[in-house]
Amino acid sequence: MSKPLIQAGPATRWSGDEMKRRVARRYAAERRFRALGLAAVLLSLAFLAFLLVTMIVRGAGGFSSTFLTASDATDPAMAGVWGALKGSMLTILVTMALAFPIGVLAAVYLEEFARRNRWNDLVEVSINNLAAVPSIIFGLLGLAVFLKVMNLPRSAPLVGGLTLALMTMPVIVIAGRNAIKAVPPSIRDAALGVGASKMQVVFHHVLPLALPGILTGTIIGMARALGETAPLLMIGMRAFIAAPPAGVTSPATVLPVQIFLWSDEVDRAFVEKTSAAIIVLLVFMLMMNGLAIYLRNKFERRW
Amino acid sequence: MTLFLALVLVVLVAAAAAYLARSRAAGLRASGGGRLNSLPGYHAAFAFLWAAVPALLFLAAWAPIQEQLVNGAVLASAAGRQLPDFDLARANILGEAYQLATGQIAAAISPDAARIAPVYREALGRYGLIGGGFALLLAIAGAAWALTRVRATFRARSGVEKWLMGLLVAASLIAILTTLGIVLSLLFESLRFFSMVPATDFLFGTQWSPQTALRADQAGSSGAFGSIPLFWGTVFIGAIIAMIVAIPLGLMSAIFLTQYAPARLRSVLKPMLEILAGVPTVVYGYFAALTVAPLVRDLGLGIGISSASSESALAAGLVMGIMIIPFVSSMADDSIAAVPQAMRDGSLAMGATRSETIRKVILPAALPGVVGGVLLAVSRAIGETMIVVMAAGLSANLTANPFNSVTTVTTQIVQLLTGDQEFDSPKTLAAFALGLVLFVVTLLLNLIALHVVRRYREAYE
Amino acid sequence: MTKEMQPVTPTTPVPFPSTAIAADAAQDDAGIAKEDTAWTQRPEPTPHLDEAVDSNPTAGEPLGQGAPKMRAQDIKVFYGEKQAIRGVSIDVHEDKVTAFIGPSGCGKSTFLRCLNRMNDTIPGARVTGRIELDGQDINSPDMDVVQLRARVGMVFQKPNPFPKSIFENVAYGPRIHGLAPSKADLDTIVEKSLRRAGLWDEVKDRLTESGTALSGGQQQRLCIARAIAVDPEVILMDEPCSALDPIATAKIEELIHELRGRYAIAIVTHNMQQAARVSQRTAFFHLGELVEYGKTADIFTNPREQRTQDYITGRYG
Repeated sequence: MSKPLIQAGPATRWSGDEMKRRVARRYAAERRFRALGLAAVLLSLAFLAFLLVTMIVRGAGGFSSTFLTASDATDPAMAGVWGALKGSMLTILVTMALAFPIGVLAAVYLEEFARRNRWNDLVEVSINNLAAVPSIIFGLLGLAVFLKVMNLPRSAPLVGGLTLALMTMPVIVIAGRNAIKAVPPSIRDAALGVGASKMQVVFHHVLPLALPGILTGTIIGMARALGETAPLLMIGMRAFIAAPPAGVTSPATVLPVQIFLWSDEVDRAFVEKTSAAIIVLLVFMLMMNGLAIYLRNKFERRW
Repeated sequence: MTLFLALVLVVLVAAAAAYLARSRAAGLRASGGGRLNSLPGYHAAFAFLWAAVPALLFLAAWAPIQEQLVNGAVLASAAGRQLPDFDLARANILGEAYQLATGQIAAAISPDAARIAPVYREALGRYGLIGGGFALLLAIAGAAWALTRVRATFRARSGVEKWLMGLLVAASLIAILTTLGIVLSLLFESLRFFSMVPATDFLFGTQWSPQTALRADQAGSSGAFGSIPLFWGTVFIGAIIAMIVAIPLGLMSAIFLTQYAPARLRSVLKPMLEILAGVPTVVYGYFAALTVAPLVRDLGLGIGISSASSESALAAGLVMGIMIIPFVSSMADDSIAAVPQAMRDGSLAMGATRSETIRKVILPAALPGVVGGVLLAVSRAIGETMIVVMAAGLSANLTANPFNSVTTVTTQIVQLLTGDQEFDSPKTLAAFALGLVLFVVTLLLNLIALHVVRRYREAYE
Repeated sequence: MTKEMQPVTPTTPVPFPSTAIAADAAQDDAGIAKEDTAWTQRPEPTPHLDEAVDSNPTAGEPLGQGAPKMRAQDIKVFYGEKQAIRGVSIDVHEDKVTAFIGPSGCGKSTFLRCLNRMNDTIPGARVTGRIELDGQDINSPDMDVVQLRARVGMVFQKPNPFPKSIFENVAYGPRIHGLAPSKADLDTIVEKSLRRAGLWDEVKDRLTESGTALSGGQQQRLCIARAIAVDPEVILMDEPCSALDPIATAKIEELIHELRGRYAIAIVTHNMQQAARVSQRTAFFHLGELVEYGKTADIFTNPREQRTQDYITGRYG
């Protein structure tokens, strides 16, 4: 037997001064670590606050009835966001009309009907990867396919909506699959048991129950599409458009692109307009995200 | 307009078929022909689908074919042969003639258009009649066939469900088509680019100045497409500076929120943090350019770096890092949550403090998941466009000084493709080559990250 | 076990066991009343452990009168490589409750799910052999699986009402099968089904409330009402009481008695007393094989096989 590892006897081992100091040191480290964590959160939020306050301070003076009802103009006093807002709405409408049904149907197929085989694995891998492809790549796709091959009109909400739909669809598919997966199998058994066909089970029971989850995912995807700029620059939505678009095929700009265009203006007065437009965009984003959170909380179901 | 009329007629035929099928099926039920296999509604849907879908698909395929045929006919006519050869001018005249022929405009500006408008109208009418007539025949044939099948024993429901199934499969195919479209369009344009500029020059060259000359004899007309400085700028901003900001802040936020924060505080802080991820990137870009960049430049000048640029890598990287925080945080959150509770309990039961447990037990156990999350974050950062377009510069410098200006792949793609250049110049095509590189790199990063994360999840299941 | 063998009979209690034989015999003689009005007047069914008294346990005697409602011959089920059922043949008779018993994992539930092809929904499951419903092969291409499941209803282990109103739960089946031409017909079907499931009085004032708000036992009776609503010929019950408390269990058992005769019933249970209480025929499964099949009384009092004997006396299981 060599000398014991701990010199002090059992009684003093935990009450000795050295141990007390050690414990105090450990507690200090604990507090530091915790403070560090809190600091990280607060720092991130402080940045958010800084951003929002900057925009509000700079942009608050930019609001006027002209600003909310006019379109782009070379004179900052005459410039407004209505044209861009209408362009955004038309674009998002096209996006939603395409991405929602396609995304939901694809999610239903993959979750309820697809057998595991190489082909369906390929579909699954495609969707998961598309969800992570940089948005600007979708812009290149839109440019090459919709403008160059299909000869659709440049700068039109139709093309913007198509491009964003391809970008948003994977998000909806993934959200849809998770929502469908959360519907318990006993519901499917119950419906099959009274003689519903597989299709009836899905469209009468599973889909309605999964809908809140799907809608939450869809709204978040739409909010992302609403704030997207880069792919729309690729398909030419950066022209100077002085009138609100008449339809989905007429030239238009969207709110984020309008912000980008104004941010490049030399005239100092556009700083105020840009910030005001950002406030409008953020309000829309917050409303959509708030709606998503509301839906999630209201319809969230514990099985 | 004939094709539109055909469309309306097809839908009318289908609706009539549906109505007939429904009433016949209902009649079968009323006359006591036994229990119907399918409800009358399914018989109606079955008839509608068989009448409408083939005809509509045919119309959809016919429309572009008809356009070609009509154009061919017009150009082959006597008036058409006199049109200018120049593509753009000819397309303009044809477009105007089309509008005149279909009555969208009352009079044409170009006399050529006015001259060929009647030819146009005649060709449109002829091919429209052929296509529309055939579609209508298809609809009537489909309706008739479906109506003969209305019987008590007929499984109209499974017939309808087969159509639905086809729809589901088609929807899932869109994903593959999109992927295929991306790969093919990037590859196709890139190959054309590489036929003008050698791939090795592009991938390993260190000079980037893609200006093409206005005249062939102008100096430096060839342009230089060495993209190493772009790759470096992308990595410097997205994978180095942004990660130096995002990893510590994101990870520590996740640790605080999952391990320390009381449930109520967490339920307030977490959504607020997620707002950071919801702010549009153009807003970040504007903020970086307008507010952060001047601060960073003043800081650089203040510490004696005279080359400090107002489009510094640091400003763009910093803001991008902030944008990525919630992303890193939620990935770390998931990984930490996946560490079994028993492991944590084991450490705490030995008298370890919470921070010791986190640092010595939870983080090492969660490390693969965190690494996977960081890889995904990097992939997102290097594909991010607006922040760098607005806050990073255009000068392709190979520098490690964060106060200097660098440029990135995405910035250059936007730069190359805006404005009305010709589509076939190396300058435009270079954007697709850059896009291809970006696509491949982000794809690899994602595949590796997903693989790492999946392996990690499996280890604890 | 959880409960005494005597079922709960709240109305017109039948003295037990002295008149039980007579009541049972009377019912057999009367044949199976199919009229809607008849079922309320039908004598209270009683435990049938003593059925042996009125029958002659000879080996070759058929286990039911006339052709069986469902006949399964040499059924084998595979899950991928694994064989879950090894050649089982059973007849299910119209006027009898048939219980499938055996230790867990013996394949009794798997077999039950073959009878309305619910195994089709499990990827990788493969069924061989022939199953007939009224002489018609249920796996033939002529048989629409959806109609099969309407004719052979099912009640599951855990109550699984749709998260819709009580009314909608019951109305769903009649609606998709087009059994109710009008709203009034639908109301009638719903009421009749709920009455038959013994739930009407408890829920008639809150038909619009969610089915999931009911208690477990009520939910299970709602599920039975839902199965009844499509007017099936056979009802399969997969351990219908395993998630219920003893009182709810007693109510379900009582209900099974009342439904007997109107529907052919096959019930899987791991509770031997329950099998003894509710069934007239019992099949004992072990390791995917059918060890013994016969009159319940015979199985419980005089099993032919040693394994049955061991299981019933609690030597394993």
